Amino acid sequence: MKKAVIVFVLAAMVVVSTALWFFSKSNKITASDIAGLGVIILVVGFAVFIGYKRLTSAKRGEPAEDELSKKVMLKTSSLSFYISLYLWLVIMYFSDKLKLETHTIIGAGILGMAVTFAICWIYFNFRGVRNE
Amino acid sequence: MNNRIKELRARYNLTQEDLAKKVNVRRETIVFLEKNKYNPSLRLAYDIAVVFDSKIEEVFLFD
Repeated sequence: MKKAVIVFVLAAMVVVSTALWFFSKSNKITASDIAGLGVIILVVGFAVFIGYKRLTSAKRGEPAEDELSKKVMLKTSSLSFYISLYLWLVIMYFSDKLKLETHTIIGAGILGMAVTFAICWIYFNFRGVRNE
Repeated sequence: MNNRIKELRARYNLTQEDLAKKVNVRRETIVFLEKNKYNPSLRLAYDIAVVFDSKIEEVFLFD
């Protein structure tokens, strides 16, 4: 229950700061800004979904975490870390070619890692963990 | 590994939610177990067998 509330508070903070950044931009909004905003919305949506799942479990009197959810999280973490290594290699390659600013590269990397984690979590949540 | 959880649950007139509460896991875990998408820990397998008043090998069938 406590963790779910923290997730909602963090998601709200991200939404507010993103909205402030987006609406206070002095220069013209570019396609990459909109793409970045889309990814942030996706990540926040994912966090809210996890928080909602935890809350509904708590309301039903079930534990917010059990051995399956812990195993799914463990598998998700290990796979997304492995994929992220290659993601950073790709970003390093393209950063030389595209001459992007450092903060753009780091931001893209962090968002890429978040998206990778979300995709891996969805994959294991639907496929299951069979230990085979 | 297959299991007879669905069959035994019906026999004992338990819902997935009831069984989840009895063995202290989330309902999703019972759903995954019934679909053979998750192999439980020995502790969970034992707890489920106790609920159905059976032995582990009577609930979980090894190929």
